[in-house]
Amino acid sequence: MGYKRKKSESELEPEIENDRKKPMMQKEEKEILPSTIKNKEKRSEVHAKLKHQKKLEKRKKAKARDAAEKRALELGEEPPPKMVPRTIENTREFDETVCKPDDEELFAGNDADEFGAILKRDRTPKVLITTCRFNSSRGPAFISELLSVIPNAHYYKRGTYDLKKIVEYANNKDFTSLIVVHTNRREPDALLIIGLPEGPTAHFKLSKLVLRKDIKNHGNPTNHKPELVLNNFTTRLGHRIGRLIQSLFPQDPNFHGRRVVTFHNQRDFIFFRHHRYIFDRKESKQTDSKGKEAKDAKGEKASQERVIARLQECGPRFTLKLTSLQHGTFDSKGGEFEWVHKPEMDTSRRRFFL
Amino acid sequence: MPRTTTLECPGCPSLRALTFDALGLIKVIEAKVSQGGAPRVVERWGELDSSKCVLAASINDRKDDPLLAVARKTGMIEVLSAINGDIRFTVSNANEDGPRPEDDAVVGLHLFAGQKLELTSRSCTLLTCTTKGNTSMRSIEVTDSPAGSASIGSSNTWSVCGSGNILCSKVDGSEKYAIFGGKGVEMNMWDLDNCTKIWAAKSPPKNSLDIFTPTWFTSSTFLSKDDHRKIVAGTNSHQVRLYDISAQRRPVISFDFRETPIKSVTEDLDGYTVYVGNGSGDLASFDMRTGKLLGCFLGKCSGSIRSIARHPELPVIASCGLDSYLRLWDIKTRQLLSAVFLKQHLTNVVFDSNFADEEVKPSSVAADLPLNAEKIANETEIRDEEETLPVKRKKASKEDERRKKKKASKENEGNKVKEASKENNGSEKKASKENEGSKKLKSKKSKRSKYEIHDES
Repeated sequence: MGYKRKKSESELEPEIENDRKKPMMQKEEKEILPSTIKNKEKRSEVHAKLKHQKKLEKRKKAKARDAAEKRALELGEEPPPKMVPRTIENTREFDETVCKPDDEELFAGNDADEFGAILKRDRTPKVLITTCRFNSSRGPAFISELLSVIPNAHYYKRGTYDLKKIVEYANNKDFTSLIVVHTNRREPDALLIIGLPEGPTAHFKLSKLVLRKDIKNHGNPTNHKPELVLNNFTTRLGHRIGRLIQSLFPQDPNFHGRRVVTFHNQRDFIFFRHHRYIFDRKESKQTDSKGKEAKDAKGEKASQERVIARLQECGPRFTLKLTSLQHGTFDSKGGEFEWVHKPEMDTSRRRFFL
Repeated sequence: MPRTTTLECPGCPSLRALTFDALGLIKVIEAKVSQGGAPRVVERWGELDSSKCVLAASINDRKDDPLLAVARKTGMIEVLSAINGDIRFTVSNANEDGPRPEDDAVVGLHLFAGQKLELTSRSCTLLTCTTKGNTSMRSIEVTDSPAGSASIGSSNTWSVCGSGNILCSKVDGSEKYAIFGGKGVEMNMWDLDNCTKIWAAKSPPKNSLDIFTPTWFTSSTFLSKDDHRKIVAGTNSHQVRLYDISAQRRPVISFDFRETPIKSVTEDLDGYTVYVGNGSGDLASFDMRTGKLLGCFLGKCSGSIRSIARHPELPVIASCGLDSYLRLWDIKTRQLLSAVFLKQHLTNVVFDSNFADEEVKPSSVAADLPLNAEKIANETEIRDEEETLPVKRKKASKEDERRKKKKASKENEGNKVKEASKENNGSEKKASKENEGSKKLKSKKSKRSKYEIHDES
């Protein structure tokens, strides 16, 4: 707020100096800040006036912009470039750990990491899913859906075993990953993904869980191996997390199954979605933008039929947030962390780690 | 406008640090005051190979021809020049009948600075210690013959522990004593002259709940350079302990630090401060006389700290670890001076204290550089070296003169306090800037010619 005010002032001053013909009234009005007026009625009046003016200006600007665009269209010129809105993501703090495609050290490091064997298809992924000590209601339901999402996943009852013992057991049985769903108050709230035999341990906070039956018009997944979409994992840490997730799924999807699993990272939150898609042929409607389309599809009759992809969500739907990445398998006491979320990192809204 | 907090780097004084990482690379980081004090990677030695992961490293930080010893995952120990990364020789640490190097990794490595047993100038002594406790001290003589790269002059092997895993070892300032400790191994001190154990710690008693915490030392250091009797050790149960071998076998002071295992402990020059780094990236300094926390080093450090190094002259420490950043901190203010992203998991960091006169290349050594076997295979390279030799010799004579001058000037200034050393460096730099400039050009030229020939071959 304060900053904006300053800006308007600084813009105003030269204006006033330039043309002094402007009535003094306006100058005075602008210079008096509504917050300095002590009378509440007067203050709110001035404030409302200012706000109204701003709104008018904004509308005028938008109108002018639209007009310019329309004129350009009519004259067949290039329309003026569209403004890109400033979002938190595209004003992200500069991060030197963002991977560059020509970085040989990155690829060498990737080849040497713990997932190399799985991603090069030397080992087939085999996932063990278990829970925390006590689970009920939504926990088991979530696990049964996870089992349908991840191929070659096996559910084992937790019993009273230590997690370290389970890791040992899974190692002996040739599992490649271990997923632990942690429930609190009958609601799954954390996910632990452990790469085996020596891979890292990622601890995620799980939120916004929507099970399949709660999704409207949901589909039922088939047994095909799903395709995997990993979005926006850019930094070193992001790459590592991406590879950890990638190692849960088989590397040879059945494309005719038309099943896709998405992990979309946005502002360090990883959104999970599970869809079935279908390519539909549809008669294209003859709309008023006919001129453009006709140009594109001159002479071809097939262009009348457009191919569109339709999606059907299969669920579950949830959001993950990384809290820590530990080097080695689960070890809460003697573990070494590669990355831990610390409160001192949250000093900026525009700093992201994945 | 987006409100962003940029990392304010005050910039560090001129220094040179070497880091070692999990891909077997050695990176040289230099900061120069003249360039704003921002450290940057100037050189990278070694090729990308995860099997050559560096496990331990040690530097012999002397004036002329500083050496660097690096223990790799393959069980090989390389000794290289700390200036240009030339491999002087490699020795294998694995015995024929012993366990394979994959099972018995090197955990401790020390390159002795002092000349032991009155050997010739081009020999060096190495102390290595493996996880299983096989410790060996060998002095290696570098022969001038082109074929044989190195011969082991004398070697002495003994076992430090019967069971358990050694995780840390350290040699004291006088290089007569060494300490070892690890998982299931209490801290013990050995006399290196006659390979005898002179002291072993005793585990602390059970606590009030009758719970005994198993012995698991993860890091250790001597509290001061001249005194071998005081040891600081960090344990897996996030405890820092001070042992005094002249007093008792149990720790004199013991305190907790945060909640993850202590991964590295480094002493300060003043003889009572220690720097402690742990598994979740917390770094703090402690006063060991009282066991009080002096302060934490705050700065978005999120990965386990594997190694801390104290600069021998400047008030700077460096920390590195799994978050692949090398961070340089001011000791007095505990501010982050700067951080360099190095892309790999780092295992070790060392300082090269002679950076001010570092621009001068150790030509006297380079002239009759002991060639290792790999280089001989490449005949063109040898020819190349012969061609470049005369240039180097010319440089050598010049450089020697300058070095003498510098030494003289340094002796004059030596009496001044440590803090003034920064300014000294600066002034020295200014004086020798022009010379350096010309020198750099020359060296660049010679380098370039080398590379060109290399390409052709």
